[in-house]
Amino acid sequence: MGPSSWRVLALIAIVAAAAACHRTKPLSRNLNVENKVAMRSVSLYYEAPTLLLAPEQRTLPLPQSPAAALDLVMRELIKGSVNEGVPRLLPADTVLRAAYLLPDGTALIDLGGPTLTQGWATGSHQELMAVYSVVQTAAVNFPEVKRVRLLVNGEPAETLGGHISLSKALTPMPSVVAR
Amino acid sequence: MKRLVPLFILAVASILFAQAPNQATLRSAAGDRAVSVTHVDGQTMFAADEVMAALGGSMAPEGNGFQVSLNNAVAVFGPDTRFAVIRDELIEMPIMPAVVDGRPYVPWQFFQGFLSKAVDLDVSWDPLARVLAVRPAQHVVLGVQLSVANVQGISKVVATLSAPADYAILKEARAYTIRFKSPIRAPFSEQTYDDPYVAKATFSGNDLRLDLKGPDIAADAYKLDNPFRVVVDLHKVAGGAPSLPAIAGTRPVEAPGIQTIVIDPGHGGKEVGAVGPAGLMEKDVTLALCRKLAESLESKLKARVILTRTDDSVVPLDQRTSIANQFKADLFLSVHMNAAVVKGAHGAETYFLSLDASDELARKAAEVENASAATNSTDSDLKLILWDLAQQEYLNESSRFAQAVQEEMNRITGVQSRGVKQAPFKVLIGATMPAALVEVGFITNPDEEAKLKSDDFEKQVVDALTTAIQRYKTDFETRIGVLRPAAPSVGPAAKKKNGT
Repeated sequence: MGPSSWRVLALIAIVAAAAACHRTKPLSRNLNVENKVAMRSVSLYYEAPTLLLAPEQRTLPLPQSPAAALDLVMRELIKGSVNEGVPRLLPADTVLRAAYLLPDGTALIDLGGPTLTQGWATGSHQELMAVYSVVQTAAVNFPEVKRVRLLVNGEPAETLGGHISLSKALTPMPSVVAR
Repeated sequence: MKRLVPLFILAVASILFAQAPNQATLRSAAGDRAVSVTHVDGQTMFAADEVMAALGGSMAPEGNGFQVSLNNAVAVFGPDTRFAVIRDELIEMPIMPAVVDGRPYVPWQFFQGFLSKAVDLDVSWDPLARVLAVRPAQHVVLGVQLSVANVQGISKVVATLSAPADYAILKEARAYTIRFKSPIRAPFSEQTYDDPYVAKATFSGNDLRLDLKGPDIAADAYKLDNPFRVVVDLHKVAGGAPSLPAIAGTRPVEAPGIQTIVIDPGHGGKEVGAVGPAGLMEKDVTLALCRKLAESLESKLKARVILTRTDDSVVPLDQRTSIANQFKADLFLSVHMNAAVVKGAHGAETYFLSLDASDELARKAAEVENASAATNSTDSDLKLILWDLAQQEYLNESSRFAQAVQEEMNRITGVQSRGVKQAPFKVLIGATMPAALVEVGFITNPDEEAKLKSDDFEKQVVDALTTAIQRYKTDFETRIGVLRPAAPSVGPAAKKKNGT
């Protein structure tokens, strides 16, 4: 076998290896980069001193596609209020893994983070406020959202902290929102 | 040796190609067709667009993910989760979809989930023959157990299945038929009953037929999960005043009224619940309180009281409800301590279950359509398939019970009312009896945390909850006629309207 055969074989091996690697390429997000972005005022729901959810207005650059904008609005909600006196509802280490809007009006909000993963030690009221701050914010800002299904780490979760059932999609609950 | 190296690389490359051919065969009613595949972590992944097109459907990008459609059914999957969604149901995949050059590939389990839910097709993957086969669903034969019991004037017919199954309910003048959409293995072919309403039950094919003892018997059908059960509650048609004495005169198999009470101390074990600023844990307060409450109820009400946990152990939420159902409890109270991030939150709250009716209404409509298609009957099915009427009865009673609890908690000095509320509490879902959850106080409030530690306050709470349960028991038993009415305003019509 001469040197030229060597090179040909090595090339074939490299191409084959590259082709095999290409097949197991890591997942890529199919973000719709063509979405036009515009400034839009949104209402983020946090707990007021009355122990009810109240809106906080924020202006954000958002894509026109509701499915793409939902993700950004949820990220903004999870950051917490801009007012110092307004406490966080979800654990401080909560992250948004993904948010999807399905054609039938179901918003899929996938949360993660160490506390939610290990088990959140909380009481009913705080959990109720945390869950419905997400539901209310999604429903108020996106008329397309008819119900909200919460996942934890991409999988169905029984509850966030042992109280409010997440086994079905949730609809907004007016009794927990300030009028 | 050097000469062997390229041969070795070539061999490895050829193995890689052999293990990862980029096509598989899709076998369906339309014949065989090649579809593109890729491989991730040893899992064969199919090009979703090609498979859907071959089956007469389509695929399109949707937000960050992708949407597939077939015969008006739509499912959506994203690149970052193993779960696809079809309406409110999730389709689990062993691994996440892979997007290669913008094209999504999914494991065969996605098609199995989507096609079985959407169009009743069955999907299987033969990795040796490399054939993805799509064919009409072959339903698994389901085991069925049947029980008939008359409780508090209602005959409960419970069909327990080995797995969930769709069904339709068909009505005749003196019979109801549950038509399962999967083959069933009948426990018997025919059985007669010494029951006020049920004459006999007959299994035939996929049908369970219930012959009734009269034409004026109404039915409410609903399902329960874990295990999957179809329940038909039979009772006299409402509004017929002469029929009421007949209900009161039937001999129930169990004593009516509130006899068995299940008390649920919230949290336990590593699930500590809310924690106060001084370190008081909800799980410890609830256990101590509930033990004393059980003693109090046993001595003052002479009731059978069961605690869902008696030590510092983890009890899953659905098991707590199951305990109440298994003991055929007449009342369920879950006891918790509250938490809030807002400073100054204080007082007691009592909750009962809220049910999101929207999806159930759609389900009811579908059941009515199915039943109508099978029998050509119309109005009678609408009246029959009041899916959650029985659940609604429990909710009405749960509301009364929660109100009594909240009023008694309000009487405790210094505890301000935050009212009776509804929320989808996991521990209350599936309870087949009046059920409520009381939040005694805010453990996150330093003043209330100190109070929750004190024996005096604990005794006040035990007394308040005992009184609340006594009040509800008296009220309920008066309404169903076990106790003589305290006031003349509670007549037979009111009994039928409000009672269970």
